[in-house]
Amino acid sequence: MKNIDEISARVREGDRIDRDEALDLYLHAPTALLGELADRVRARKHPARIVSYIIDRNVNYTNVCVARCNFCAFYRPVGSMEGYVLGFEEIFRKIDETIELGGGQLLLQGGHNPDLPLEWYEDLFRAVKARYPDFRLHALSPPEVIHITRMSRLTVPQVIERLVAAGLDSIPGGGAEILVDRVRKLLNCHNKATADEWLDVMRHAHRAGLRTTATMMYGHVESVDERLEHMFRLRDLQDEMGGFTAFITWSYQPEHTELGGFEATGLEYLHTLAIARIVLDNFDNLQASWVTQGGKVGQLSLAFGANDMGSVMIEENVVRAAGASYCMDEAEIVRNIESAGFTPKRRNMHYEILGDPVFRERDVPRMLELAVARAEGDDSRPPEIVRYAARSAQEKKLRS
Amino acid sequence: MTPQQLIDTPDLIAAGVAGDEVRRRMHGAKTTFNRVFEVPVDAPPAALPARVNAGEFRIVGKPSTLDALTAAVRATAALAGEVPVTVFSVFDLLSLPQSIRVVAAAIKEAGASALVHLPIDRVENAELVAQDVRAADLIILSIGVDDLDDNNRLALCEMAGTLQSRAGGFKAFAPLPRKMSVTKPTTGYDDVRMVALARVVAQNIESIQVDWALYGPKLAQVALTVGANDLDNVAAEDPGVLGTRRSPLEEVKRNITAASLEPAERDGLFNPR
Repeated sequence: MKNIDEISARVREGDRIDRDEALDLYLHAPTALLGELADRVRARKHPARIVSYIIDRNVNYTNVCVARCNFCAFYRPVGSMEGYVLGFEEIFRKIDETIELGGGQLLLQGGHNPDLPLEWYEDLFRAVKARYPDFRLHALSPPEVIHITRMSRLTVPQVIERLVAAGLDSIPGGGAEILVDRVRKLLNCHNKATADEWLDVMRHAHRAGLRTTATMMYGHVESVDERLEHMFRLRDLQDEMGGFTAFITWSYQPEHTELGGFEATGLEYLHTLAIARIVLDNFDNLQASWVTQGGKVGQLSLAFGANDMGSVMIEENVVRAAGASYCMDEAEIVRNIESAGFTPKRRNMHYEILGDPVFRERDVPRMLELAVARAEGDDSRPPEIVRYAARSAQEKKLRS
Repeated sequence: MTPQQLIDTPDLIAAGVAGDEVRRRMHGAKTTFNRVFEVPVDAPPAALPARVNAGEFRIVGKPSTLDALTAAVRATAALAGEVPVTVFSVFDLLSLPQSIRVVAAAIKEAGASALVHLPIDRVENAELVAQDVRAADLIILSIGVDDLDDNNRLALCEMAGTLQSRAGGFKAFAPLPRKMSVTKPTTGYDDVRMVALARVVAQNIESIQVDWALYGPKLAQVALTVGANDLDNVAAEDPGVLGTRRSPLEEVKRNITAASLEPAERDGLFNPR
């Protein structure tokens, strides 16, 4: 083990640390030291003390999924009475509401639904762009892209090319969990994407000129060393491609999941965030995950390396299904940023500053609870779904 | 770092370190917690639910009359056995027509061991109230805060320290507000600063306390690293449906241990369990 003081001195000097040094810091540095070091890295990258956030909406277009990850409380199997697919008109309505709140983007992710072919995504993206030309689509995490390649029998670059042609603007970093195949097998998410496959989708996306984010969900079956392997694999790809705009980490939410267990503590989140800020020296931005940690620890993230409060979100379904139900609207995010001594600025997915808070420029309704994909009891089926060939036996039977 | 610097500094880490230094000097790594079974003043249960393991039976709610309050105390004392019975809060008792000395004597006679929570921002003549309660051979365990704004933080911490100097007997100061605005709750920075400030300013009070149920595990755990050393109001009832590892007892111990601290369970009167 190296001396923590020596490693800390190197971080203060702006040197890059290796995996053994990161492990020593993670396991042995006190909370205050980790915070101080992470804050130095943040301050070097963001000396103007600006903390950004984005107004967008987190829409899950379907909860039907064949992946069956054991940490997920959101998905429903094919044929479930609780399964849904959002219709184009429903998505347009959500976009209208997002625009009304000052937003300009959807974060669009969903289950691996075998009855939604590539053409469904293309038609949706084209329809959105035709109706809202300036609206951005931050959509389809790497495992979703892989799912579409398998169904369409196309390669990853081919699928990305077609999605970009239809209107895809950027790719969210979901589905990374921990980028170690031992862990992915235990989480039953190895089949949806291996670690190499996840990274490869991002590599192809970056080659296609897309910017993407990277995520990490920790606190389930992985070791601390495997969390670091995840971070160092991301750092290597960022050295190679430079296409990641931000890193977001959050703790596994155990409620209603098959895997069960308990949630990692608040301090473990702050430690993990701080280590990420120190290790990922080639990432410009780190988001605070207030949606899993709550507003208070979300704000404390700003003292542990985060420079971005993430999204106003408007709607959330996945984390809520697993037991977390925090809500922050723009006014609340801004109040938290300012009370921490930072200057709030709105941004887009590329982290370009768009301006000051919208609610200070015009009346925006307060939002004290996040919306959900659908109202309870709404089991309607979107009319356009019949235009696409059914693949699952259950869907074929339903249509017959 | 002076108290005012602690409030003003943008360096939250430094503020937390200031609180933690005092806490470590006073308590080392030891971190106490208390499992509380709450009893509504207007509806004490006829029998205890299964799987209750409490260090304190706490009667909560604003009593309609002194008779109703003493009846609740008697009913609770019958359930509690040797476990201390307390009444929350001093401010609610002040709304009764009888003097606080009469009220304290009546609930002492009915079986209560102590009062909990004297909100320093709401109780006028707190020193006199504390003296009257003591005259009835009852103690008030904790000084607390109901409402907090940006301008009264230091004043409230100083008032708590002064009250302890003059009246004595308080075991804990709970500096985080019990009332929170839905649209403008205190922030994490607010809470960390307040805990650190309370620890630095009110060093004549043994424990800085955070309500586990009210503030939740994440913020409460962070508070333990910036000045707090006591977690109050851990659930005494474990429905058992989530398994042993997710029982309230295991959860609080896990959070304390994960903060590199040592859990020590206490009862409602701050005696070890």
